[in-house]
Amino acid sequence: MKIAVMQFPGTNCEHETLVAVKAVGMDGEIFRWNRSAGELSSFDGYFIPGGFSYQDRVRAGAIASKEPVLEALREEAARGKPIIGICNGFQILVEAGLLPGTGKIDMALAQNVMVSKGQIVRRGYYCDWINLRHEAPSRRCSGSFLIEKGALMRIPIAHGEGNLVTTTPGMMQKLNDEAQVVFRYCDKNGRVINEFPVNVNGSTESIAAICNPEGNVLGMMPHPERSFFAWQLPAFDPKKQRPDEPGPGRRVFESMKHYIEVSA
Amino acid sequence: MDNNLKRCTPLKIIGLADPKVASNLRGSGIGMSVSEARSIAEVLGRDPTLTELFCYDAMWSEHCSYKSSRATLKEFLPTEGPNVVMGPVEDSGIVAIDDQWCVVISHESHNHPSQILPNEGAATGIGGIVRDVNCMGATVVATADPLRFGDPYGPKASKVRWVAEGVVDGIWQYGNALGVPNLGGDIVFNESFDDNCLVNVVSLGIVRRDQIIRSRAPPGAGEKGYDVILIGKPTDSSGLGGVTFASEALREEDEETNRGAVQIPDPFLKNVLFKANDDLFRLVREAGVEIGFKDLGGGGFTCATSEMGAAGGFGMEISLDDMHKAADFPPEVLSIAETQERFLIISPPELRDNILKIYNEDWDLPNVYEGARASVVGKMNTGDRFEVRHKGEVVCDVPIQHLTGGIRYQREERARTQSLAEPVIEEPQDYNQVLLKILRSPNIASREHVYRYYDTEVMGSAVIRPGEADAGLIAPVRGEKFGLALAVDSNPFYGRISPYWGGATAAAEAMRNVAAIGATPSTITDCLNYGNPEKPEAFWEFREGVKGLAESCKKLWLKGYENQPVPIVSGNVSFYNESPQGSVDPSPIIACVGIIKDIGKAISQEFKAAGDKLFLIGPRFDELGGSEYYRTMFGVTGANVPIVRFDLERDMIYAVIDAIDEGLLAAAHDISNGGLACTAMEMSLTRPAKFGFELDLDGAEESGMRTDTLLFSESSGFVLEARPGREARLMELLRSCHLEPMEIGKITSKRRMVMRRAGETLADLDLDEARMAWTCGLAEAMR
Repeated sequence: MKIAVMQFPGTNCEHETLVAVKAVGMDGEIFRWNRSAGELSSFDGYFIPGGFSYQDRVRAGAIASKEPVLEALREEAARGKPIIGICNGFQILVEAGLLPGTGKIDMALAQNVMVSKGQIVRRGYYCDWINLRHEAPSRRCSGSFLIEKGALMRIPIAHGEGNLVTTTPGMMQKLNDEAQVVFRYCDKNGRVINEFPVNVNGSTESIAAICNPEGNVLGMMPHPERSFFAWQLPAFDPKKQRPDEPGPGRRVFESMKHYIEVSA
Repeated sequence: MDNNLKRCTPLKIIGLADPKVASNLRGSGIGMSVSEARSIAEVLGRDPTLTELFCYDAMWSEHCSYKSSRATLKEFLPTEGPNVVMGPVEDSGIVAIDDQWCVVISHESHNHPSQILPNEGAATGIGGIVRDVNCMGATVVATADPLRFGDPYGPKASKVRWVAEGVVDGIWQYGNALGVPNLGGDIVFNESFDDNCLVNVVSLGIVRRDQIIRSRAPPGAGEKGYDVILIGKPTDSSGLGGVTFASEALREEDEETNRGAVQIPDPFLKNVLFKANDDLFRLVREAGVEIGFKDLGGGGFTCATSEMGAAGGFGMEISLDDMHKAADFPPEVLSIAETQERFLIISPPELRDNILKIYNEDWDLPNVYEGARASVVGKMNTGDRFEVRHKGEVVCDVPIQHLTGGIRYQREERARTQSLAEPVIEEPQDYNQVLLKILRSPNIASREHVYRYYDTEVMGSAVIRPGEADAGLIAPVRGEKFGLALAVDSNPFYGRISPYWGGATAAAEAMRNVAAIGATPSTITDCLNYGNPEKPEAFWEFREGVKGLAESCKKLWLKGYENQPVPIVSGNVSFYNESPQGSVDPSPIIACVGIIKDIGKAISQEFKAAGDKLFLIGPRFDELGGSEYYRTMFGVTGANVPIVRFDLERDMIYAVIDAIDEGLLAAAHDISNGGLACTAMEMSLTRPAKFGFELDLDGAEESGMRTDTLLFSESSGFVLEARPGREARLMELLRSCHLEPMEIGKITSKRRMVMRRAGETLADLDLDEARMAWTCGLAEAMR
């Protein structure tokens, strides 16, 4: 089982993502943007890690989405192989039309706008540990295949543009109806409260992650590779006291592995 | 020199009177003194060319040559120790972590550029420091920014806030995009920084001991005619005269012209360059050859090339025609412009094709950034000249060691006379209001408003983050249990009262901060920010600060090595931090790197469980001089500055490290700004902020001390939360370190912060109300 961790100029999370891929027993390598796109077909799954590909020129993810390797990834996605985009990777998948999966750009990850009690209290880049609630049924999506519906996950975010918005009529309805909403921001007890700080970036309906209708392509703003070991957890999380244990984000990587095994 | 080449027209110096020489120099944009110019002409035996004067001007600037400071640094600072792999000789210092791994550290200032263009200035500060670390062959793993801004509520509030906001933006926009976690830093506001902010930056890297790359032409480079290869961004005119600009005081009327001296940063290109550099390091390892590698920073191309050549004892011949550049600039501009995102390689000719391929094809620099690439720009030789050609002319031909040797000045020092006195004040009636006001003050309030902009999580290595403890901690190597702690410190209010104790306390507190999470102080770096060294009072402040800092390093010892100092392996001197309104408060900003063998043992500062007992170590003294209490409540500085009691300080630091290693502590926080009261409150207010406390100050009784002194004196110490059941062993350990621990209270499940003395309740504060004040204070001061 071999995973490609995609690398564009400006990507900055490829190494820790590869560490996580290997730690759950998958084989993997970093795949530089100017390698022959044809080589991608020999991989079983793909991560598009976070960073600032092409300096966020035009819009976050816009330039990378036009690279030949993205065309190749589209073909692999059509074959049902799993692709998980994290942070800037999510932005690239949206710009490439792979999410929400209509082939068109049907949504945007806009600048964070933190709203509390009707007031904008902050804008832009934000880094913190937050909580997610898993919204899809298990086995729905490649990156949360092993996660039960309603399960909670503590995980960090670090982005300036994670505020999911869409003006396509019926799109929110469709995402909800077809269980394409994979994670929402919530408080530590699992309550979704649609304002800052629980909805950390102003995202519509507190959405943090979505998948395509087939479920093999997942985009998420939070970083599971940074929540992979318990020692990475924030000081106030009691699980940090057991530093050698797995962290919550590991389930995303295990899910992809299981998804590939089941699909084979 | 090739006789077919003509030398370009010189600038007339020999035979002219001083005023005429001065006007020739100023008219050409050269900052050096007439006597400096004459000494150069004398060594050359002719009038120098314009390019030569520009090169000397940059290389002999205070920034590059340390001409005023070097003698003092050499006289006092301890730079050697059993763990030192490389002291302050190149761009970064290197200290051993274990038999295999080393930590690389560099510490710089970017003060003047940040005052003029805050965003670009601060961003370039990060850009420069990470290059210094990377060029040692290291992976850059962390940065931190100690920041000093003016009074956000003073007469220059709007400018101060504009600078502060721009600086923070510059830091996050550069650092986050580069992908290096920001481990913290600190922020202090005071009116002495109204016209001169301080933007210091620290960076850490990791390298295996056998894979260190030096910033010098390697042995044999001259004999074998090694290549000189320039990589990165095409040279332009940005940052022209940056080092000269950093070596003068700021005047408001020069702001327009000074903008050109600020460099333009590009984290995106740097991100790609770092990855290409990794391939270069791999190539060199596999080929088993030694190269020289250096970043281009202050003094630009001339500084990097000539310093590497001179360090190897060789001469070199450079062709500016072969340099990739953004436009056809004159030779003096190409020589000293401080264009960012560039490195220089000195390597054997047989590696040339492979090196060019890494940058120009594999990482495709020309397509990633317009005009960026790797170019061979010169050759090493066995001569002793630094020779530069441009369009068929020799524009520079000087003795390389003379150019890089710089000059020395013995500056005059004179103690600043000031009348200091302790104020006569009434004890407060209502401590609740005092505590709320202090919690909200910009120097005490939570730093969350700022550090949420910083990506602390990238690389996935953060163990303890900003706001969680006195120091940040990362686990930089997967599969290894060791961690690197980093803390920075300097209190300008102490420096104002006593530049000596300002230096000593900064070093001691930085070490205390690292110890508070369980790490052992391993090395110190200093960025010494002072006024104009040509003024005797400013030079005295500088010398006093260095003495104080050195004393702390020498007397606090490297743990495990009695009488060996904590070594200072890297640093920077930033003079001329003054405007016509005056100079900044003496600010020797210290960074301390600590090492912890097992990150699983590190502890944070927030209270862990109701019922746990609290202990104080470090007796309180009447030391309210420069305190937050005096400043916030009475607007005065006072006189009784905290001093370092070296034996006590060492005993406390060692005891806390040992207690954490033994698992006796659940939380620890050092006592500094705001005194005992703020230390205890911060432990309660730090997320998750679930517990209150009851302090009984009778346990901390000092004979007859006033209550406000007891609560707010900033004498050093620690508040410790004992792990339940381990109290007796903790007391035993502390006493064996010659300490007298005082039990001062306990953690409660009530959301109240209560302080009592002699049966009387002094304060009883609602936790949520206090937290609101504490978390708002910084945003209010910066927006």
